[in-house]
Amino acid sequence: MIKSLKHITAVVGLAVTMSVTTVHAQEIKIGALFPLSGGLALLGDESLRGVQLAVEERNAAGGINGQKIVIVKADAVDANQAVGEARRLTSGDSVAAIFGSYASGIAVAATQVTELAGVPYFELGAVADTVTGRGLKYVFRSNSTAKNFADRSIESLTQVVAPALKVDPKTLKIAIIYEDGPYGTLVGGFQKDEAKRLGLNVVESQSYSAKTVDLSSLILRVKSAGADIVLHTAYQNDAVLFFRQAAAASYKPRAVIGAGGGYSLNDTAQAVGAPMEGVFDVDFPQITMNEAGAQGLKEFVASYQKHFNMPPRSGHSLVNYVGAKAFLDILAKAKSTDKDKIRETVLAYKQPAGSSAAGWGFQFGENGQNQMATTNLMQWQHGKLVTVYPASVATAKPILSN
Amino acid sequence: MTKLLQPRTYVSLLALLALVLIPLAIQSAFVFHLAIQVCVFASLALAWNIVGGFTGQLSLGHAVFYGIGSYTAGLLVAQFGITPWLGMFAGAAISMLTALVIAYPTMRLRGPFFSLATIAFLEVARLLIIHEESWTGGSAGLNVPLQIGLPWMIFREKSAYLFVAFGFLVFTLFISWMIRRARFGFYLIAVRERVDAARAVGVNAANAKMMAAVISAALTSLIGSFHGMYLTFLEPSSAFSLEMSIQIAMFALIGGIGTVAGPVIGTVLVLPVAELARGWLSAFGNGTHGFVYGLLLVVVVLFFPRGIVGHLGLRVLKLIDQLPSWPLAIQKAAAPQNPNIHYAPKGMPILRAVNIEKRFGGLKATENVSITLHAGEILGIIGPNGAGKTTIFNQLSGFIRPDKGKVEVLDMNGVWVSPTSPELFARAGIGRTFQIVQPFAGMSVLENIMLGAYLHTKHRADAEAIAREVAELTDLTQLLDSEARSLTIGGMKRLEVARALATRPRILLLDEVLAGLNPSDVVRAIAMIRRIRDSGVSVLMIEHLMQATMALSDRIVVIDLGRVLREGAPIDVVNDIEVIQAYLGKGYTHAESS
Amino acid sequence: MSLLLQLLVNGLLLGGSYAIISIGLTLIFGVVRIVNFAHGEFLMVGMYVVWLCAQHLGLHPYASIPIVVLILFGLGALMQRNIIQPLLSADGHIQIFATVGVSTALLNLALILFGADIRKVDASFGTQPFSIGGITFVSGQLITFVVAIVVATALHLFLRHTYTGRAFRALAQNRVAAALMGVNVNAMYVLAFGMGTALVGLAAALMTVQYPAFPTVGSYFVLTAFVIVVLGGMGSLPGAVIGAMFIGLIDSFAGYYVGPDLKEVVYFLVFLSILSIRPTGLFGLGQGSE
Repeated sequence: MIKSLKHITAVVGLAVTMSVTTVHAQEIKIGALFPLSGGLALLGDESLRGVQLAVEERNAAGGINGQKIVIVKADAVDANQAVGEARRLTSGDSVAAIFGSYASGIAVAATQVTELAGVPYFELGAVADTVTGRGLKYVFRSNSTAKNFADRSIESLTQVVAPALKVDPKTLKIAIIYEDGPYGTLVGGFQKDEAKRLGLNVVESQSYSAKTVDLSSLILRVKSAGADIVLHTAYQNDAVLFFRQAAAASYKPRAVIGAGGGYSLNDTAQAVGAPMEGVFDVDFPQITMNEAGAQGLKEFVASYQKHFNMPPRSGHSLVNYVGAKAFLDILAKAKSTDKDKIRETVLAYKQPAGSSAAGWGFQFGENGQNQMATTNLMQWQHGKLVTVYPASVATAKPILSN
Repeated sequence: MTKLLQPRTYVSLLALLALVLIPLAIQSAFVFHLAIQVCVFASLALAWNIVGGFTGQLSLGHAVFYGIGSYTAGLLVAQFGITPWLGMFAGAAISMLTALVIAYPTMRLRGPFFSLATIAFLEVARLLIIHEESWTGGSAGLNVPLQIGLPWMIFREKSAYLFVAFGFLVFTLFISWMIRRARFGFYLIAVRERVDAARAVGVNAANAKMMAAVISAALTSLIGSFHGMYLTFLEPSSAFSLEMSIQIAMFALIGGIGTVAGPVIGTVLVLPVAELARGWLSAFGNGTHGFVYGLLLVVVVLFFPRGIVGHLGLRVLKLIDQLPSWPLAIQKAAAPQNPNIHYAPKGMPILRAVNIEKRFGGLKATENVSITLHAGEILGIIGPNGAGKTTIFNQLSGFIRPDKGKVEVLDMNGVWVSPTSPELFARAGIGRTFQIVQPFAGMSVLENIMLGAYLHTKHRADAEAIAREVAELTDLTQLLDSEARSLTIGGMKRLEVARALATRPRILLLDEVLAGLNPSDVVRAIAMIRRIRDSGVSVLMIEHLMQATMALSDRIVVIDLGRVLREGAPIDVVNDIEVIQAYLGKGYTHAESS
Repeated sequence: MSLLLQLLVNGLLLGGSYAIISIGLTLIFGVVRIVNFAHGEFLMVGMYVVWLCAQHLGLHPYASIPIVVLILFGLGALMQRNIIQPLLSADGHIQIFATVGVSTALLNLALILFGADIRKVDASFGTQPFSIGGITFVSGQLITFVVAIVVATALHLFLRHTYTGRAFRALAQNRVAAALMGVNVNAMYVLAFGMGTALVGLAAALMTVQYPAFPTVGSYFVLTAFVIVVLGGMGSLPGAVIGAMFIGLIDSFAGYYVGPDLKEVVYFLVFLSILSIRPTGLFGLGQGSE
């Protein structure tokens, strides 16, 4: 027994020392912090794939000023783990920067650590406005925020759906439903604000637990309120559940506008089946865009297919790829890993709209947010998610049955 | 002071200090983080152990106090700029109130019912915090403003966090140790093991459980406040997390619940491995580290079902004891402070049941029974099986309330009182034994007796002295340091009596204390009961052994079918025709009485 | 009025789903006296097995019931024999953590093997919506409801009238006494646990018609199942069914009148209130039994 105790101590000691690894001169390490297990695993993994593709592409072109980029993966399911992993990455592994993280809770928690540690954090997919809203100096985000999502949803309603239905948007009865986690609450909240600002008629607004197994009461409420339009912010399981139970309750709104999450996944469309036809979705740019407005899109899709033997599962890989690519570019331009030099370079970095595979341009504000990041309106047509708005990136026209 | 120089003490202190010294030596932010996490979770496990280990209530919703602590401190600093050093006490106060609110309805629940109820409270708290997003931030979470400095509990140097976390650990460890050694700790363990026996020696079980819950909640809350400042970001699902509640319970269990060191050892062994595993195994497929962690958990539980302290504790202690030590100054056993017990003058009534009645559904178990016990006498209660003797007994000791009639005790001031619960009967001077003897496991014979002694004193030394004295009276002096579990049936019966005697009762109720004893043990027991009576204690005993009852009793009461059949001197009662018929049936009227 | 009726129907049908999942749990709870935290993961495993049968054997979920039930029985028996049994003499609490370990391991194993994507089975039978008198429901839900009642009744009769059933009930009340009466404790426990997980397998087959399979699906149901089993009284089959209906109805009505985000608060509060009046659940075996 004592022998095994000795062994255990030895192993633990070795483990601790091993976590303090050495850095090779020809390598530059970057951390990749995503939820790779747990409830958000699917889209966390999809996001990571984008980063991996960007790094590969960059390495093939010579790396960062000759140094090969090495990704150090980190899995964090909640804020507690995010803090732990952030500490691990910034101390033992001594990464030059951390890329992440799809989930806002993880991003906010980790950035509190990296800010104090003086390591730049490049957010590529989390949408909470507080990520760049806390006055932190070394946190930068390439992607659009929850407010962008909400504004675009309402805009889609007034500029696309209402005209197609040939009605005044103010006459439409709107239901805003969302899962009660950070993602749903943020987008749903902004949707309510924007709708109120425009004087739209919101007849029902409700949150529900993302882990629910039954939405029938919610659907009854929405149906009883007579909602024509449903704005739904959901993950995959609840999106599927909604459509299944709405069909069971014979409730078919005139239009459903999802806000990313489950609504953008092919799996969801397959699971839902026919009712998915014609459903709208506001999300990060997807791969079905007009190449003219998104330079390099085709190459990205081909590269993904080659690497992972399947088409991209959602638009997350695309935006993470685009953001990572830009930040790697910035790291190269900065010619240094000094945090202030990097910040300077970020603020000076400018790219025109349409120049990236997501159709985004780049221009960072003082708070580190890319002000040219956008969301698009997509629609499920014949089992494919096509972009219908804005016109510059649209590949199809919106279809609305009456 | 000489205690410090004992190997057990200084080895424990050194091991504890290693938590701070090793990270300081290695100077890696990640190792600091690990050490801080270990301190935090070990403290949480220790706090949990007060309820889960000492009291035996498996709470799986303890994170509710952690969440209250972190949110209260976080909100106070974010909205009002109040320093978390104060905020954490506000959080602790709220947690303590919450503990009372939770403890009250869950008091009567056992096992999985209790666990699930605690989970229910946790979930309700979490959902309410999410719902009230206007002031809690809801799901989006709450950011703690990044103000650096001691007043804000936010530091740039990791070592500062470590010192604070370590401070919390030492504090929690100290409280845990104090409880275990003090009367309160004894009471908790007694309540955990045998609630009835505990109440019979005057322990207010409900109060003890609530006190434990309140202390545990306060400690958990304080640590939660600190951890919230460490993470600088609060969100409902992490703060009110079922996974964390299970985790801290698990650390305590793996280490060994009910021990002081167990929770710390469990945390130290499991947490770093889990964190490191996540770091390495992330490189492999998603979910690998979770899978390995789950498997390891199963393996550890299978190999150490009694916890690490349970399995390795003795061996490690033996090793440690071989280290050099300095001679302990011999502590003279303190003379017991004998509480002033006024024994009533011989012959005076001191306990009486007046026309008591008890029904269970349609069955009249006790019908119009009146019994009086006089000071200095031994009263025997006999009767055929099922006559209702034990029911009467339970009414005389407060475990059953009679439907009609009353039970009164003459207290020390000469006033007749009617106590309403077993604890109050004990305090009024009644000690009792139980038919099914089961000593408190995990305690030595001495500690078992001390439990009774604690009725009159809070001090360990006094209780010990009383216990030793009582042990003399009941022939247990040789066995004082052995584990109570290891006694023979004779020894256990004497232990029951000893524990009751340690409460310095004026009246002792014995429930078939001679049952199952071999003849020589019976002789010893009879002598013991005589000694007890001679020391001033009045005895009321239920017995089946006729020779003993005849030998001991001054008077005998016969119960049949819930009624008093006959009462009087032993020789008269035993030759009474009706009594013989009741015992043996009508055909045996002429059988000789033994 | 039709709204109330619809809510009622929704609640009862949801109760049926909960019931079929809880029956196995109450059997294990009642006989082996263990809080099996891996219960949700057994459901998940069952759902993946059904999906695999659909993918590779082209079987409809209902058709794969014999296969799932058998496989889950085996898994449960294995777990009881190799993990729970060695711990029977240990502190009751430590067994719980063995099941937590199994739960974590199974969940992550599924993640490793199948990834996080949701796996839906395309079933035409069992997914048609019906409308009777304006009240809508799905055929699969009704089937699940009926099966739940039938199975619960059958199991109840089994417990009352067969030797094994009586042995189960004896073990539930007093393990030592049962052993002294000649009951082979270990064999009975294996059987009970296996039957419990087999029932979960049945539940999985029925549920796969309505829900997709993914690694964390078990955790969506398990807490509610525990609440139902405790509420109904451990080991009581009528309790599990009635508890499930009760929770389903609260879910439906509170979801509509209070709000979907607070419906769990409602049923947890109801749960706590009931426990404070009846500490062993509505139909509990009695005496605050552990």
